[in-house]
Amino acid sequence: MREIFKDALKEVVQSIVPISLVVLLIQLFLIGSPADKIATFLLSVVMVALGFSFFLMGVKIGMLPMGEAIGGELAKRGSIIFLVVVTFMITFLATVAEPDVRVLTSTITAVSGDLISRSALIISIALGVGIFVVLSMLRIVYNVPIQYLYAASYLLVIVLSFFTPPDYLAISFDSGGVTTGPMTVPLILALGTGVASVMAGRSALSDGFGLIGFASIGPILGVMLLGVFLS
Amino acid sequence: MIGTVLNSLRHAFIDVIQAIVPLILFFLLFQVFHLRYPSRQVMKILLGMAFTAVGMVLFLSGVFLGFLPTGQDMGRFFGSYEEKWVLISVGVLLGFLATFAEPAVRVLCYQVEKASTGYIKSSLMLYTLSLGVAVLVGIGMARIIYEIPLSHIIIPGYLLAILLLFVSDRDFIGISFDAGGVATGPMAVTFLMAVAIGAASVMEGGDPLVDGFGLIALIALAPIIFVLSLGVLFRLRKGDDG
Repeated sequence: MREIFKDALKEVVQSIVPISLVVLLIQLFLIGSPADKIATFLLSVVMVALGFSFFLMGVKIGMLPMGEAIGGELAKRGSIIFLVVVTFMITFLATVAEPDVRVLTSTITAVSGDLISRSALIISIALGVGIFVVLSMLRIVYNVPIQYLYAASYLLVIVLSFFTPPDYLAISFDSGGVTTGPMTVPLILALGTGVASVMAGRSALSDGFGLIGFASIGPILGVMLLGVFLS
Repeated sequence: MIGTVLNSLRHAFIDVIQAIVPLILFFLLFQVFHLRYPSRQVMKILLGMAFTAVGMVLFLSGVFLGFLPTGQDMGRFFGSYEEKWVLISVGVLLGFLATFAEPAVRVLCYQVEKASTGYIKSSLMLYTLSLGVAVLVGIGMARIIYEIPLSHIIIPGYLLAILLLFVSDRDFIGISFDAGGVATGPMAVTFLMAVAIGAASVMEGGDPLVDGFGLIALIALAPIIFVLSLGVLFRLRKGDDG
């Protein structure tokens, strides 16, 4: 367990330190930020680094085995309805718990001056991910070529973007970017490889790939539709 | 300062409880009705979830305490410069660093090297990918300054991606769409977004809700177009050989 934490910490430090250093230099020499602001920033870098390492370790020993166990169970049952219901539930709940989603939605609500409801956003995003991961699973089961699925949903995004109010347009595209975060990605991959490995004649590699990218189209449509309905 | 730290920890704690309890309940129900795992394994999974929750509390309070305010400060500072290119260059620099330092991006580059049987070197790809994200963050900042609607950039981008889907090598397609996720790591989402919002808030006649968001979407689009284009190159080369 200590090894897992060390690996996670190393990864997190690698990704956070370079930017933090540049930001610190900018604060010191260009902006001339007061000392308490700089201290707060440094403290937050430490909190983010430690927190994210704990988070990644937790995902590895908790979320991943859970995803694989449930993925294997899904495929063993061989019932499409069971597959659809459980896949939807678990990806919906994991998206609700995704840290990136928590940060983005609360920022959106703050910037909009509480005009856009945070819970409505979270639910639209999670519904989008849930439905699109289910579609991805069905694609694996019925062997539909991935290009057609992508092209069709991207066209849908483009068409819907003409009807989306401007306030919702940018945030809907951003919502697609954040769902591919550290909580949902391992879980969806574990589910997908679990299902693909039990299905005859499916390669875990080429069928497992693409799940994440496809999952991130769902929230774009979800938030766009939220905007269309609310205005 | 201690007061604000405690306050942000308290907020994050409430948020994390709301976020993670439903997932734990679902797992326990699934365990009781379907899985029936031995209790040792269940305890391990629950322990992992406890770590996840503690980590999330620290992460989120750090983000709200320092990352977002600092990013917004920086955005406001560079956004109010007379020389607008400064904001664009800062965006390019931060975009490059965020991608270059992200471990998930390195994993992706290695995958592509394998999928192309060594034809596309992972180090070359790392530099070009970081540069690609850097350019798109620069475009994102320029968009805020000149108030270009996001749809004028993102829709041509998506159309290009659709076009590339049908001419790119098959192995690269799945990788490319998963790649969209790797560049949007925690640094990009929290920090770059805050810089953009800060910059948009000081632009005259700008609306932070319309202009400040959209950067994450651009960052996610860069690797997709990039990896698909590599797939086209690879396919052309394969065609030459055969």
